[in-house]
Amino acid sequence: MTITLLQGILLALVGFLLGIDQCTEAFSWFRPLVVSFFAGAVLGNVQVGLQSGAVAELAYLGLLTVGGTVPPDSLMAGMMTTVLAYSNASLTPEAALGLSLPFAMLAQWWGVICNTMFAMFNAPADKCCANADYKGLTKLMALATFIRCFGIALIVFLSAYAIQGPIQTLVNQFPAWLIHGFTVAGNLLPGVGLALLMRVMLRKENIVFLFIGFLMKSYISMGNVLPVAALAACIAVISYSLDKRMESANAAAGNGGNDNGGI
Amino acid sequence: MAVSRNKLTRKDIDKMSMRSLTEQLAFSFERMQAIGFCENMGPALKKIYGDNKEELAKAMQNNIDFINTEPHMATMLQGLVLSMEEKGANRSLILNIKNALFGPLAGLGDAIFWFTCLPINAAISCSLASQGNVFGPILYMIVGVVLALTRIWFGRLGYNLGAGAVEKIQSNAVAITKAAGILGVMVVGALIPSYVSLAFPEDLKLFSTVSVQGIFDSIMPNILPLGFVFLLYWLLNKKNANAVTLIFGIIIVSILLSLLGIL
Repeated sequence: MTITLLQGILLALVGFLLGIDQCTEAFSWFRPLVVSFFAGAVLGNVQVGLQSGAVAELAYLGLLTVGGTVPPDSLMAGMMTTVLAYSNASLTPEAALGLSLPFAMLAQWWGVICNTMFAMFNAPADKCCANADYKGLTKLMALATFIRCFGIALIVFLSAYAIQGPIQTLVNQFPAWLIHGFTVAGNLLPGVGLALLMRVMLRKENIVFLFIGFLMKSYISMGNVLPVAALAACIAVISYSLDKRMESANAAAGNGGNDNGGI
Repeated sequence: MAVSRNKLTRKDIDKMSMRSLTEQLAFSFERMQAIGFCENMGPALKKIYGDNKEELAKAMQNNIDFINTEPHMATMLQGLVLSMEEKGANRSLILNIKNALFGPLAGLGDAIFWFTCLPINAAISCSLASQGNVFGPILYMIVGVVLALTRIWFGRLGYNLGAGAVEKIQSNAVAITKAAGILGVMVVGALIPSYVSLAFPEDLKLFSTVSVQGIFDSIMPNILPLGFVFLLYWLLNKKNANAVTLIFGIIIVSILLSLLGIL
């Protein structure tokens, strides 16, 4: 399906507005699930947006901007997965996810450029502080946000609207095995997000809980993972209160204060 | 000469916490969140110092240095800084406490918000979205707003605990991080069979009689996705593989295996 000029402009607007949330990381609305939902709504096909959002969200789960690193752009991944799945009938959302990667990397580079460029704002910021002018800082923040989000909107417009013809021509020439290959990859990519989370959270002492979660979902029929999350929350509370009790027992025994929670 | 300082009300702190939603704007690689961190405290600092521009400038200049922490934790630090400014604490003490805390707090905030709350929210919302339910992304957005509003609590916590916040947080951090780890890891375990799918085609048979997939299924359902995620984890953790390299690798290998008819 062809994307109209109006739709292209509206997609760019979605990119701009959710891009503000990407800068602040305040509401998590820049994540693929939300971006794809709005993109699907603009394109008049919410279902494509929901399916695309779900696969892209999980693939980018562990790819978070943590500690100042800049990963492939999750906003653009959600946007382009939806756009590609909508405008190319042969692409499932899973296959579109793989093809959205070059666009996500393009937006990633824009993010790196902005983070480098905005170092120039430090000298004027120092001046504002010396003048006790916090409103001057507000203006710098607004300007930086506008520049960055305008860039995102432009990338969205060009990728979704301006070059849709060449992309469709290219995708139409894909043989069946290539599209199937992208679908297989799309089914595997959420594994990267999960493995990244494991790298942060997995410890010898908690690996058994990973298997409990895995076995529950594999052997018990449940609509979503909410039951596992609820049970996990109960276990977490038990663990916390046991640790606290152990700590106060240690303190009472006169050797507290130097251990790591009594393991 | 003593500087006169006005008292802040709870409303002032809450306003600062809401303003703190923009803490990360004008982020740059050089001083990271410095501009936003300083700007958010502007109105409250102005209230403390009234027309004393000189002191206001000094207070602002004390907070325009490098800082990089998790956004919610930034709000707490801002509350802490304000309580110390209000009490007229020594500026270099304020700076030292801030610098000592932002790193460890970033780790705690990331563990709670980005590696536990976000994946669980994503897991539940994505399972709704992939069933075609528009409530999926809507739930995701609502939870995002609720998590953002916890900043009011964090702002008050930092302000009320003052410098004592350090001890209080450090004494709880180990137990909280451990409990959050259990919660997160168990949900990740349940997400593996839900969203990573890896299965050989039914007509792929050993000696043209035994179905390859049948062998794996008879061992344990979803054993292939589990093994695949652990392979990725091993590559990330032990081989220091880059996430983007893994994504490209998965796409290329999937396409090759699709071409060969193995997947």
